[in-house]
Amino acid sequence: MNIQMSDLILLGHAACGILGTLAALWVFVEALNAREENAARIRRGAAAVAICMCAACILGGSWYLRFYPAEKAMILGGPWPMAHNLFMETKEHLFFITLILALYLPIVAAEKLHANAMARRMALCVSLLIVLTGMALEGAGAVINHGVKVALLRAYVK
Amino acid sequence: MLSETHRLGRATAAFALAAVITIVFNTALAWAKDAYQPLSRFMNSIAGHNWTTQGLADILLFFGLGLVFRKAGWAERIDPQRLISLLAAAVVVAGMGLAAWYALF
Repeated sequence: MNIQMSDLILLGHAACGILGTLAALWVFVEALNAREENAARIRRGAAAVAICMCAACILGGSWYLRFYPAEKAMILGGPWPMAHNLFMETKEHLFFITLILALYLPIVAAEKLHANAMARRMALCVSLLIVLTGMALEGAGAVINHGVKVALLRAYVK
Repeated sequence: MLSETHRLGRATAAFALAAVITIVFNTALAWAKDAYQPLSRFMNSIAGHNWTTQGLADILLFFGLGLVFRKAGWAERIDPQRLISLLAAAVVVAGMGLAAWYALF
């Protein structure tokens, strides 16, 4: 088995992204049941979202800049060019929206959610948006991966 | 038992408005750099790659606007429910706008 640094960076990016998404789901559920007793847990969950998404950004950005150009050429030469033209282009810019929401979540979570209906509603809205955009990003990642796979399969069959 | 309040805190409201503006700016910048290559090249020259420059611009804009709005207290005057709806709408429209742009052009 030959695991290279590019593999670790890419898998680390996906892992941090899904952990951040799951942490946002955790914050959503905790905020639904916001009480004084779980206020600290909500803040820890929100911090986990921000940390995971920042790590996903650094790892994904590093991989995108250093290793993606070769895969992009493969995708564009293969049967699924839309894996880059639509999915990667959308993903690389949609990610910044998720990142901004993830950076904002700890600011909302600093409020007393159990005593403030609007802050609670904002926390629910932001965490749900992170879950939805996070899932869209994971799905787009899978399509990009498949774009490389079908390109390689076609080259192998030839 | 604490009595329930229905106002967003100063920082929460300020950074919510900053997030709305940054999210819309992010999509507009993605469109602009894709449509106008000199802008993309200019952004490449700033941080080595236009994607990196865009990310840094988004983060600086979010925190910069958030701090300005917090100091000025403008965002607090906006109805909290409207701010929540605005943020949700900005994410949906900006996200769909990105997908539509790259699907069509």
